[in-house]
Amino acid sequence: MSTGTVEKTRQTTMKKSQRAEIWRRFKKNRLAVFGLVLFVFIVLVVIFADFIVDYEVAVTQVASERLQSPSLKHFFGTDNFGRDLFARVVHGSRNSLLIGFGSVVIGVTIGGLLGAVCGYTGGTFDAIMMRILDSIMCIPTVMMALAIVAALGTSLENVLLAMTISSVPRYCRIIRSSVLTVTGQTYIEAAHSCGTSNIRIIMKHVLPNAIGPIIVEATMAVGTAIISAAGISFVGMGIQPPAPEWGAMLSEAKNYMMLYPYMVVFPGLAIGITALSMNLMGDGLRDALDPKLKD
Amino acid sequence: MANLVETVDLKKYFKVGKGRYLHAVDGVNLEISEGKTLGVVGESGCGKSTLGRLVMGLLPATSGQINFEGQDIVTCSRGEFKKVRQKIQMIFQDPYSSLNPRMSIYELIAEPLIVNKVYHDKADILKRVYELMDTVGLAERYINSYPHELDGGRRQRIGVARALALNPKFIVCDEPVSALDVSIQAQILNLLMDMQRDLGLTYMFITHNLAVVKHISDTIMVMYLGQCVESAPADELFANPKHPYTQALLDSILKPVLGTNKDRKLIRGEVTSPINPAVGCRFAKRCEHCRPECMEREINLVDLGGDHKVACTMCGG
Amino acid sequence: MEDGKILLEVKDLEVVYQTDESTVHAVNHIDFSLKERETIGLVGETGAGKTTTALTIMRLLPERTGRILDGSVLFRGENLLDKSEAEMRHVRGADISIIFQDPMTALNPAITVGNQVLESLEIHNVEKKSKQELEKRVDALFNLVGIPAERKKEYPHQFSGGMKQRIVIAIALACQPALLIADEPTTALDVTIQAQVLKLMENLKEELGTSMIMITHDLGVVAETCDKVAVMYAGEIVEYGTTEDIFTGEAHHPYTTGLFNAIPNLDEKAERLHPIDGLMPDPTNLPEGCKFSPRCPYCTEECRSRTPYRYEKNGHRIFCNRFEKEG
Repeated sequence: MSTGTVEKTRQTTMKKSQRAEIWRRFKKNRLAVFGLVLFVFIVLVVIFADFIVDYEVAVTQVASERLQSPSLKHFFGTDNFGRDLFARVVHGSRNSLLIGFGSVVIGVTIGGLLGAVCGYTGGTFDAIMMRILDSIMCIPTVMMALAIVAALGTSLENVLLAMTISSVPRYCRIIRSSVLTVTGQTYIEAAHSCGTSNIRIIMKHVLPNAIGPIIVEATMAVGTAIISAAGISFVGMGIQPPAPEWGAMLSEAKNYMMLYPYMVVFPGLAIGITALSMNLMGDGLRDALDPKLKD
Repeated sequence: MANLVETVDLKKYFKVGKGRYLHAVDGVNLEISEGKTLGVVGESGCGKSTLGRLVMGLLPATSGQINFEGQDIVTCSRGEFKKVRQKIQMIFQDPYSSLNPRMSIYELIAEPLIVNKVYHDKADILKRVYELMDTVGLAERYINSYPHELDGGRRQRIGVARALALNPKFIVCDEPVSALDVSIQAQILNLLMDMQRDLGLTYMFITHNLAVVKHISDTIMVMYLGQCVESAPADELFANPKHPYTQALLDSILKPVLGTNKDRKLIRGEVTSPINPAVGCRFAKRCEHCRPECMEREINLVDLGGDHKVACTMCGG
Repeated sequence: MEDGKILLEVKDLEVVYQTDESTVHAVNHIDFSLKERETIGLVGETGAGKTTTALTIMRLLPERTGRILDGSVLFRGENLLDKSEAEMRHVRGADISIIFQDPMTALNPAITVGNQVLESLEIHNVEKKSKQELEKRVDALFNLVGIPAERKKEYPHQFSGGMKQRIVIAIALACQPALLIADEPTTALDVTIQAQVLKLMENLKEELGTSMIMITHDLGVVAETCDKVAVMYAGEIVEYGTTEDIFTGEAHHPYTTGLFNAIPNLDEKAERLHPIDGLMPDPTNLPEGCKFSPRCPYCTEECRSRTPYRYEKNGHRIFCNRFEKEG
């Protein structure tokens, strides 16, 4: 074998082994794997919703079949308009997850980068940004979101936007504080001393070491985001009925809750399972990404 | 021989409040000729680490010059500095906090090569990383390990490998062995001295350990509260210390020999504040030879011949 | 010093740290004793088991992982390892106290230094002295460690490192303990301050008649302060004797020799240092036979297979097979 090939082999085994390492560490955490299984299941439901049950079923109101208990015909029963709850939960997954994940992913990305830049640069920029974010934080999330939706019009995108904007300050704060600890470390100085650019330092040195707390926070926030979106839907400014959405289903069901508990149980379970899978996975992911916890 | 590195009246003040400045480095002139080692000794807070960071360009200087190969790196443009930067590297004190815990040994050693775009082919980088690991005595099998899996000595070898990656001419060693055990400390010191001999490196060696500094340095500079109080060739300084602070410092060394340590002279008090220091000798308040003259004017560094310089009124400063 | 009573006797002590995955053999069957007014130095590098030994004597091992498997710690003839936690609380501070390495973290930043000294007096106030009397004692202690008593109303951050270590010493000495354990007391301090603090400890020891265990990796500190030395390696005492035995004696354990050779010598210019080859063994997986054998230049087949012989001459003990015939 020529030297070139030896080098190549060395390199490929190396790259692979690092990813394999993370996967190996993740696998060791049984709860995390369980979370992953749940998550994959939910994603499959989202993708194959149309094959599982027709969308029409979810929005068709059948007056003769109102408020039915779960049966073979309607696995999860029907609601006060006679719509099949199973179909609504299955199809609601799309809207709910879009809002839940969308707002968290976008919020974490923007908030994270902003927080990293603020914490890393410090000084005037940091001070001004923090005061702006503080003032945003003063407005209650739902109020804020309502104002945005009211101004821009009712649509899924605007709900998403509203949720994102109101969540950014929190992520920004969290990341900023952990970034501040990391920037005090000598390895940041060491990176400077070999000529590393600021962007690379933030991306390679600061963020990976500051990401732990945000992963946990973000995975917990997915569930909360779905519920908050429900609040917006509830006052009629979110997802427009009859489009199914878990949070909206919960709030619609609240008048019937005492007599027909399954109306809240199933969408509630759906939200709960999503949140649970995210939490378990998040914990596992945080540990797997940290090479210090290898064993 | 021409000096590779020199500083002229280098100052670094940190603002700590309204009109209050911490004089971390206050008018330091140093010269290091190529292939030699300058040892910088002093106690905590004397500005030796700040001096190292100034020379590295990690901190902007308040005033003065830092000349590297005749070029002033304080005033030069960013582009020019980027070129110079590759020739000046640093080894840090704490091998535990100076390595990013999320990066493997490969990533750590490859980083300077990647960010300075030394090679375009990944295989070349890998080859160089193996080469560097071999130079500093790290076994190949550690390439995928993470810093926390290694002991202090091996981590410091990674630090040395990183510093060597770009073929620098000058390395600032900031207390590189202080966090290590004695037997490991000797391994790293030997490594550094071998590197110097084989690669013709120039060192600025910052430490508070006098035995280490005597072993590794050609010239030693003693700092006290941001100023150089004495500088001389290593043997001369130990044989013939002139400044009362140097004398006290040398006298405080605890030698691992029985019976040598009784009746040492201890200096009074502790280091005074470096914030807005008063005119005059900064050591005056602790000095047993203090005269009114010492507090009245700034003391100059006087050359006593043979490269021995002292800033003390007793030597005509 | 010859006729002093034995104050502390550590016999056949074995301590491990047990976690789910592994067992760290921190201290492996060590013996040493300390007379009144005597200072013993525990010397060794990181992981030698020095601090574990100290924590065991104080019974301060981490509860979840630390296990004392064997041995006894006799303090004035009583086995400290048999005492209950409540009884130990009376021993700590009053009879035995400890000074930790880092004075910056050993003091509570929110309480004035005077109150911190007072607190340790109040805890062990057996004679039910009045507050005024205790306050007077605090003033006396501050004078003793060379800090003006007016400064007792200040907070720890207003003091420099050396001053803080003096306060820590004042707290440790508040109840006039019979035994003071100093775990690297000057490592975090500057050279000139180190000399001052060691001098202070030396004087106080003379004055109060305290015995001391000095834990350090610095042979210079040992030469300055100790009467006896135990050189530790990988949880074992490899050489034990008076300071003269260790510093000027003829026979030495190869590790002791290695330690001395590794330090740069101030009095002669050597081109290269002589480090000890290799690294500390993994404490979860110690080598068979002599623990130092993988790094020892004199290692033989025998060293790898059996525990080293004990060579003893006038109390100078060396655990090494090289000396078996003489002892």
